[in-house]
Amino acid sequence: MQGGWPPAASQETTSSPDGALTVGFVGRRGAVFWLALTTGFWSILTLGFYRFWMKTRLRRYFWGSIRPGGHPMEYVGDPWEKLLGFFIAVVILTFYIGVVNLLLMFASFTLFDGNVAGYFLSFLGVIPLWFYARYRARRYVLGRTRWRGVRFGLEPGAWGYAWRACVHWLVTICTLGILWPRMTFYLEKYRTDRTFFGSSKLTQGGRWTMLYRAALPLIGAIVAWVLWVVWITFIDPIGEIWAAFLDELLIELLGYEAFLSKGTAKPKNVWRLWLLIPLAITLYTGVVHYMFGARRIMANHKSAPGIAVRSNLRTGRIAWIYAGGTFFAYLVLTLGIILLSLIVLPIFGFEVLAQITGTDADLTFDAPRWVAITASVIVYFGIFLLWSVVYNTFVTFPLMRHMATTTVLPEHHGLQSVSQAARDEFAEAEGFAEALDLGAAI
Amino acid sequence: MTHASYFNGDTPNPVPVYVTPSDDGAQIILSRPNADDVIWPASDIRTVSDLPSGIDAVLRLTSDPVARLYVQDAGTLPRLPHLNRRAPPKGRGRLAMWAAGAVAAVALQIGILIPLMADQLANFIPPRAERALGEATFEQIRGALGSDTLGPLRVCEKPEGRAALNEMAATFAPSIPDNGEISVFVLNHPMINAFALPGGYVVFFRGLIDAAETPEEVAAVFAHELGHVVSRDPTRHALRSAGSIGVLGLLFGDFAGGAVVLFLTERLIDANYTQAAEEAADTFAHTVLEDAEISPAALGDMFERLRKKHGDSDGTLSHFLSHPTLSDRIDKARDAAPEDGDWSPILTEQQWADLQGICG
Ligand SMILES: [Zn+2]
Repeated sequence: MQGGWPPAASQETTSSPDGALTVGFVGRRGAVFWLALTTGFWSILTLGFYRFWMKTRLRRYFWGSIRPGGHPMEYVGDPWEKLLGFFIAVVILTFYIGVVNLLLMFASFTLFDGNVAGYFLSFLGVIPLWFYARYRARRYVLGRTRWRGVRFGLEPGAWGYAWRACVHWLVTICTLGILWPRMTFYLEKYRTDRTFFGSSKLTQGGRWTMLYRAALPLIGAIVAWVLWVVWITFIDPIGEIWAAFLDELLIELLGYEAFLSKGTAKPKNVWRLWLLIPLAITLYTGVVHYMFGARRIMANHKSAPGIAVRSNLRTGRIAWIYAGGTFFAYLVLTLGIILLSLIVLPIFGFEVLAQITGTDADLTFDAPRWVAITASVIVYFGIFLLWSVVYNTFVTFPLMRHMATTTVLPEHHGLQSVSQAARDEFAEAEGFAEALDLGAAI
Repeated sequence: MTHASYFNGDTPNPVPVYVTPSDDGAQIILSRPNADDVIWPASDIRTVSDLPSGIDAVLRLTSDPVARLYVQDAGTLPRLPHLNRRAPPKGRGRLAMWAAGAVAAVALQIGILIPLMADQLANFIPPRAERALGEATFEQIRGALGSDTLGPLRVCEKPEGRAALNEMAATFAPSIPDNGEISVFVLNHPMINAFALPGGYVVFFRGLIDAAETPEEVAAVFAHELGHVVSRDPTRHALRSAGSIGVLGLLFGDFAGGAVVLFLTERLIDANYTQAAEEAADTFAHTVLEDAEISPAALGDMFERLRKKHGDSDGTLSHFLSHPTLSDRIDKARDAAPEDGDWSPILTEQQWADLQGICG
């Protein structure tokens, strides 16, 4: 390079020997924990409104930790703009949620004598909105992500995404999941083909059938389940426990009584129920392997002019992060709840605790009601805060780290010709996703 | 002298630069290879916040939204006065406008649109649907007041007590128009309260039966709740909350949404009907009680005694006691009782004892 000037932490210093651009990760778990704890605490004090700041700051931290070619990604989303977007979404959605829900409930009770149909219809009506909000949220996050000063972005197209997603889901359900990979592929292609980095547009290559390779363990797991059920139900009936369970299930689901439990023999070979444990593990890893295996395959077929992407993520590792991380998060949560109760108990006393838990006993409650309400609000929010903190620390953090460090750009000379893209002004930010409660994930 | 990578905000290609302060310290000079120096005013430089702590830093300019300077060792930087100052806020007017809009939209929904629709829909709801609505609400309340470990709140069903309660209900049966169905339950909870639900549900808490001194007082409360049933106040109320829950959940999100739902379930019990609705229910109760040869004064007796014992501030009786015109209602109840009334007990001594022991 130029004599006298040092190589500024660029490709030269952070690339692998074959010239590929690698992605580093410098975040620390303890820092994520404290950031989530302090911002979560403020969220509680402000009745949840600080959550926009919490999310922004966590994202800034995570983005800044990801270092492709040694330079941090940057998240420039503004909490105020998120708050504004949320208000806009509330104004628009409140009429839908209020009026439509009321009408649906009325229709449901009038026509079906219950609220189940109403909940179902109201859920069904929200599905297209849900996809719409997902796309808009992705557009917002990409539009506020930069690397080396250049903006990422996603072209408008949320309604197109929403109706395509609905049709793909319908097709997938009608084919009993056989065409699931087709849906995965085309929805991801829709998003990828509209993604850009500066002036450079990303393209999704490949064919949808290539994703069946990732589905093999899942298919194997499903076959194993079917064989097991057939074995213990028809070939060598396990006995009345299982038959009674099936009866119950059929009545719950279809209102149909099969009376399988009538005239079944004494239980035999009950050890076969233990097979449920390996079967459940197989199914879980199958699902994770499909979801992330498909992501890896699709990442390897993404490209832009002069830029190629390669993902080396390991699905086994991700299955472990989710399972182990969630387990560990629950463990910490339980300890936290015990600690919280120890703090709340001496302040408010046992009677209040009994009242919070609604114990159906002959206790006389002398404590005024506001004390009980305050205590239950503290406990409720405390649990919520703890969960978000431990989830960020033990699941989101390792997941981000793994996803970042396993991504490589084997070919990146195309970056030389990239130039800046215009800012995506976007008033409602991820307000819809926030209002519809999809925003739980980072 | 500091080494850094400069990004001009147009291309993603790092330009190696040397960072030096100008002589007066008011600017920093980024010297590029084979190109002009870039001058950054020192007071406009900010650091990008919430980066993982390390010795490196990313700097930006308040006057340029995209250019960046990545410094590997921030300790070697010249003095920059406003490095950690916040950027000035912008667009707050618009934010305030939409915030007000959101609050107004929610208020409009909950205060006007949903009540209006609920009142209209309540006129069209068929009896069977009304019962289903009442049943669902009843289960919801039992669940909300129950405990996680013991399940929903227990319904008291000791046969002797049940028989006494049915006897009381039978007394009032002729006063219900169109042969409407009435279901009366006692819930095992110490709260001194009673409420009505759509479809002819009247629900007592054990606390109210414990607090009553005569069966006539329970009967008086029963008659009052029947007044609400007949004028379909609970149906309108349940439909309103069906619409409002979603709207409030939307506003508060995950964090407080669950608390809001709990709060609204409580409101179902503490149903604050309008003053007109309460008066209508009282008037209905007076007539029904008189028809059943019970002194309407019983209602006033109970209210007064409870108020003396618990005071106005206690929340347990808010449905009855927090009413601003309570004294009025007590007087009215007493006035409604004719001097020469021919009263007969609604339950025998034995039946009253059975009712008091319904929860076992
Ligand atoms: Zn009333």
